[in-house]
Amino acid sequence: MKHVTSIVLTMMLLLCFTPVLSAMTKAEDIQNFTLKNGMKFFVLEDHSIPNANMYLFFKVGSRNEYPGITGLSHFFEHMMFNGAKKYGPKMFDNIMEAAGGANNAYTSEDITAYTDWFPSSSMETIFDLEGDRLANLALEEKMVESERGVIHSEYTTGYENSNFRLLLDELRAVAFTAHPYRWSVIGYESDILNWQRSDLKRYFDIYYAPNNAIAVMVGDVTLEKVKALAEKYFEPIPAREAPRPVHTVEPEQRGEKRVNVNKDVTSPNIMIAYHIPSSQSEEFVALDILSSILSDGKSSRIYSTLVNDKQLAVRAGAFMGESIDPSLFTFFAICAKDVPVETLENAIYDEINKIITDGVTDSELQKVKNRKLFNFYRGMETINGKADNIGTYEIFYGDYKKLFEAPEAYKKVTKENIKAIAAKYFKKSNRTVGIMQKTEEK
Amino acid sequence: MKTKKFTPAVLIMTFLFIGWAISPLMAENPTFKLPKYEKFTLKNGLTVYLMEQHEVPLITVSALFPAGADKDGDRFGLASLTADSLFFGSKNFSKKQIEENLEFLGASYSSGASKETARVSMSFVNTDTDKIFPIIKDIIQTPTFDQSEFEKHKKRTLLELEQDKEQPAGVIGYYFGKFLFGNHPYGNPETGIPSTVEKITASDLKTFYDAYYRPEQSCIAVVGDFQAPRMKEKIKKLFEDWKAQGKPVTPETKSIPSYDKSRILLVDKKDATETQFIIGTFGIPRNNPDYVSIQVINTILGGRFTSWLNDALRVNAGLTYGAGSGFDALKSTGTFTINSYTRTEFTVKAIDMALDVLNRLHTTGIDEATLSSAKNYIKGMYPPRYETAGSLANLLTSMFFYNFDESFINNFQQNVDSMSIEKTKEIIAKYFPKDKLTFVLIGKASEILEQVKKYGELTEKDLKTEGF
Repeated sequence: MKHVTSIVLTMMLLLCFTPVLSAMTKAEDIQNFTLKNGMKFFVLEDHSIPNANMYLFFKVGSRNEYPGITGLSHFFEHMMFNGAKKYGPKMFDNIMEAAGGANNAYTSEDITAYTDWFPSSSMETIFDLEGDRLANLALEEKMVESERGVIHSEYTTGYENSNFRLLLDELRAVAFTAHPYRWSVIGYESDILNWQRSDLKRYFDIYYAPNNAIAVMVGDVTLEKVKALAEKYFEPIPAREAPRPVHTVEPEQRGEKRVNVNKDVTSPNIMIAYHIPSSQSEEFVALDILSSILSDGKSSRIYSTLVNDKQLAVRAGAFMGESIDPSLFTFFAICAKDVPVETLENAIYDEINKIITDGVTDSELQKVKNRKLFNFYRGMETINGKADNIGTYEIFYGDYKKLFEAPEAYKKVTKENIKAIAAKYFKKSNRTVGIMQKTEEK
Repeated sequence: MKTKKFTPAVLIMTFLFIGWAISPLMAENPTFKLPKYEKFTLKNGLTVYLMEQHEVPLITVSALFPAGADKDGDRFGLASLTADSLFFGSKNFSKKQIEENLEFLGASYSSGASKETARVSMSFVNTDTDKIFPIIKDIIQTPTFDQSEFEKHKKRTLLELEQDKEQPAGVIGYYFGKFLFGNHPYGNPETGIPSTVEKITASDLKTFYDAYYRPEQSCIAVVGDFQAPRMKEKIKKLFEDWKAQGKPVTPETKSIPSYDKSRILLVDKKDATETQFIIGTFGIPRNNPDYVSIQVINTILGGRFTSWLNDALRVNAGLTYGAGSGFDALKSTGTFTINSYTRTEFTVKAIDMALDVLNRLHTTGIDEATLSSAKNYIKGMYPPRYETAGSLANLLTSMFFYNFDESFINNFQQNVDSMSIEKTKEIIAKYFPKDKLTFVLIGKASEILEQVKKYGELTEKDLKTEGF
């Protein structure tokens, strides 16, 4: 779940501004093919630098977990770097870096992504390394144990250095009662300490199938070469039975929920989350525009009112983002000195109610469109931005091409739609309020 | 420093936007060359750089002023607050108008001060140039430092300074800077500290601005999708009436301290579950002729995932999520640091291990295979570093301030290739420390104090005590 303004929606704006975009990537520039085992490749040739990337997206994240194995998707991500059949422990990184390449990976609630960046002359090495680990990951017991320590440190440092993260995790645990979005991607500490190699093995067999992945390559490559290498290194990997879909649906919330987190913080932190539909919903576009109007920039409603004019908060904003299942639209704020948290909480509701009652202005709508266009250009300035756009769209919207069909949906959003959607979702019975402060009142 | 990482939700977006833009010269020539640019000086002394980049219809403007925290004197935070306040109103625009106008056009903008410089940056769609430029001109030439806006900002800053301590990883660098540089201006914490920030007024900002924001020692880089001749005319018109004031007064230079033994600062965080640590000492100035060679060695020590530090502390021992090292090069010197963190009970184990790795650099040295891998890595990663209009604008302004030219970029690969094993030995002996180290730890003192005394002369602080 990417809790931020959708980059994909910025792409929807693309066609609203066709005249200036003639030099930019078009749908037909993106080529694709599917291997016999079901693994899909997207290729965008861009020969302006002798570098390229490979982004592999697996459709597995913490939403595929259950209590006992929480955090396993992320742990698995780490284990993908710890040795396979042809290339043993450490060799994946040693060989890639010696070839002038680098890599990283990330896990979210919905997906696990592996990213390689390299001089295009090293492309075959990258295919060899990636093919080896997908075909024959070793999961050696010794490596499992040392990686467990790494993750435990990651867990500790995350909470030690971020109030935001601690509060968000507590909030989600209350906002969701049934759906796996209720735990964080890093997982529960006790699960981190108790996963078994057999859990990992099972995870690999279920989710790390070529037919559960897509690959995106952008840069100094040709379709022909990519295809030949994909057939050589990925096609021999057998397809597997598709994973069982996540069928848990979060039941409708029946009243406001509140959670307190006691922590010795300088001033109270607050988060307010409302359940909203998934990225595939028709309402998602309007919600995304609303999120920008509320919190993108210093002239946005939340910042300009709460931080600047009323001086009730030192920081404030709102976020939402792509998700496969229905997710949250979350407001957050940190109290200014000596401001009671109830005052700040009520001021946030005032801003929400203003939208519900009076709606938004033409100028606010236009501002969001201009901003999205700018962000879109920023994303398209880099081959990494391009690769991530293509992959994200394919995963969260089911087809990368939809991005070129979307402008109509975007244009259709009116001030009335935004007002109505605010009224529909920003209801007291649909919200969860999280407050972090020094001591809980008796 | 790369890590195989779990990305906290909010950071994922940042991740999506990391990347590289396109430098058209690369297609013909596999050796990375800095794209063509033009440099000229206006009559008032302002240096201007123009570089065309046509990949996307955006323009980035980046201005640099010699107005960093090293000019703070004893009023820590002055440079930083001055830079922040440039957007708080100007001759022709109020703070609200600046924000609303820029944000309506979708532009991104920022200002801030670091150790030696202050920067203003703006990126926008090229068709908005004529709407954006009057604002850029105004905030740079005629900021008003509106008192009521500044007071609001100061109030927020005072609270944020306290809150910063709730993120030890974010403040350990300030402790290290202060502990290493002492009263030398490089030790000034850029953000300021509550007792100094409290006393700063809007008129102090104006005085600071008048002293250090002058055309003669400043520069502006414009990079992006425009035609240089027309842009040159626009920039001339925009800045030609900015009055020359004479070169800024430079505060008297203080000498950099030196230490004849190792020292350790232990900052107590009573509820800590982990220890953050830095081990380091003085480094090199930015114009050091061995800059590139030092980067190659540091790549091996702590500059990539397979670096010796990360390999030992993370991959082999599972003590941490990440360990690395780096040189931060300033105008007259710099710092060398090893950074990591670990759960409280592993503090000594991790620090001992980091010291062993550093020692290995001197005793075992670097073999041919490792050197060759590091060369490939640093060359492979090089072009992407200077590919967005923003990173190029930043590079041009740095060339101005640190007084180096494009030969640094254009000869980079050649300089990397020319490294021999013999040269690595020289570089290591000359620039990588082995003793008289400065340690800074933030962690739970009651559990680690006795064990960490062995690292050097001990100083203790409480994280909650004001300042660094």
